[in-house]
Amino acid sequence: MDPEQPPGRVTLAVVEDHPVTVDGIRLWLSRDPGRRVELVAAGPTVESVLAGPGAGADVLLLDLELNGVMVVDRVAGLCADGHRVVAFSGHRDPETVLAVLDAGAAAFIAKHESPDHCVETIVAVATDRPYVTPTMAHALIADARPQRPRLSEREHLALLLWFQSMSKASVARRMGISEATVRQYIDRARVKYARIGRPAPSKAALLARAIEDGLIRPDEVGTYRSFAAGGPGPS
Amino acid sequence: MSEDPRILVARRYARGATVAAVAVAAAWHLGHNLAATLAAWPGYRHPWTALAAWFGYLLIGAAGAAALLRAGRPPRAVWAYAGAALAVVAAVLAACPPDQTVGAANWAWGSIGWLGVILFWRRRHHLRELFLFLGADAVLVLAWMLAAGDTGRVALARYLMLLVGSLTLQIGGAVGGHALGTAAAWAADASARRAATEAERRGAELVHADRLRRYEAVRHAAAGLLTEIAAGADPADERLRRDCAMGAARLRRLLAETDDDPGPLLRTLRAHVVDAERRGVLVTMEPPVGTVPDLPPDAVEALAAAPARALRAARTEARVTVYATPREVIVSVVADIDADSDTDTDADTGVGAAAGDEIDGADADGGTSRTAGGVEVTRQREGRSLWIQSSRPVG
Repeated sequence: MDPEQPPGRVTLAVVEDHPVTVDGIRLWLSRDPGRRVELVAAGPTVESVLAGPGAGADVLLLDLELNGVMVVDRVAGLCADGHRVVAFSGHRDPETVLAVLDAGAAAFIAKHESPDHCVETIVAVATDRPYVTPTMAHALIADARPQRPRLSEREHLALLLWFQSMSKASVARRMGISEATVRQYIDRARVKYARIGRPAPSKAALLARAIEDGLIRPDEVGTYRSFAAGGPGPS
Repeated sequence: MSEDPRILVARRYARGATVAAVAVAAAWHLGHNLAATLAAWPGYRHPWTALAAWFGYLLIGAAGAAALLRAGRPPRAVWAYAGAALAVVAAVLAACPPDQTVGAANWAWGSIGWLGVILFWRRRHHLRELFLFLGADAVLVLAWMLAAGDTGRVALARYLMLLVGSLTLQIGGAVGGHALGTAAAWAADASARRAATEAERRGAELVHADRLRRYEAVRHAAAGLLTEIAAGADPADERLRRDCAMGAARLRRLLAETDDDPGPLLRTLRAHVVDAERRGVLVTMEPPVGTVPDLPPDAVEALAAAPARALRAARTEARVTVYATPREVIVSVVADIDADSDTDTDADTGVGAAAGDEIDGADADGGTSRTAGGVEVTRQREGRSLWIQSSRPVG
């Protein structure tokens, strides 16, 4: 894992069975002023994408429904193989979102929120940094499972306001804090989720980066080291 | 209906059976016992004792019947009444000539069982107690016959015949009455099941009609646009793009509305969302976070008032979210609303001055205010967009 920002552009592989959606993603990437993300592979199946240059892409954007079949159960395997998976779906119910995060997905983008969040999410994930889309915020505040991590009141409030307003500036004003602090609360909440569910290299990398960035302290992580000692890191 | 129909039906049956038991005892006493007393009057050793016994029987019966009909259960200290009833039997025995212990003049011992039926009615061990009571009666009479030396073949045959006859009638009556209660419970169960099936059928019809309406709405949202695109409409056309975005938002909302009974708050909000969509506003309505608890109608109205105004004032876009915990419900709307239309939105509120105050009361950049329904409305402006948050504690 290269802890620094990749010197070149972030490479992206997309598993998506609708070519029109791939074209749409390409369009968003081209509209990003910094052209920070480069699409290196796209195909209708996981195998077809990983057979070529997609195998080494920084980020794998995975549509959760391919040819009418839900592929949620593929996420864990892909994450264990060291891919940074971003799930991309119209199925945005909290159960699905939490299931893919548990399996090790770095982020979840609902298809309808893509224009605002797609590029930002991919860039953040490529550097193992957290990015919480409003759909993820929805799932995190709706999480009532016994194993859910304990969020602080401020973290929970920031997630809720972010889900409601989709504007960190608005959340900052509402909470009377800076936008950077809002981001910190939201990111900390996300990082706490890296400690539950199935261990995965992507989670270990997220925790490691969070410590490096000063988002959390090593002693807050608990089991992080055992994760890190586990499988291979993201390629 | 305020009460379970099963309980109502069962209670009605039980009351019918009780009235029947009391009526049989009363008719027997007024018809048979009185006639027997008067007919045997010249033959009694102590006619006034027999008459007093008749009244004693009447009193015990009346007390038992009053308790049953009023409170639905026999009087307290029921064995005291039973003892008194046996005393009535003894009194009539004493009034009869010694050689006619079980003759027509002794009306009491055969009919006392009807008092027993009333006294032990619906008690937990009513049959066991009735048998015990009737056994005591039979033993008392037999002992009296032995003591009086009235043990001829005819007397004993008569004794046995009367014993079996009255036992059959009285125990049959008691068992029948209780069986009627059991049957009532079955009938009530059956009728409740029928009512439940009927309600389910009606509910299913409503759900079905609602689904048809939704499918129709889905078709309406997509069919026209798809036809237009198939006919070669230009995807670069801004209007077409906007229509597509609207159609997609509507489809997402319709597909997310899988709940057949969303509850009054979501129903109200969705109605306002549909109104806004008709005006051409692109509305994103997220599925609610958590389960919206049951809210009284005035709470729903108060909670939805400010969001509804925001949706009415939205120019092109709005985002609606609902967050519910067992402690509070928050409805939030972010919409592009012109700053000068804030007051306009107040003017068309139909919710009353108290609910409308908060936009007036807040300054241009936002603020928080409390409305009459216990609802706290927070308002925050960010450029062209206005964020309205309406929250209310539950309970």
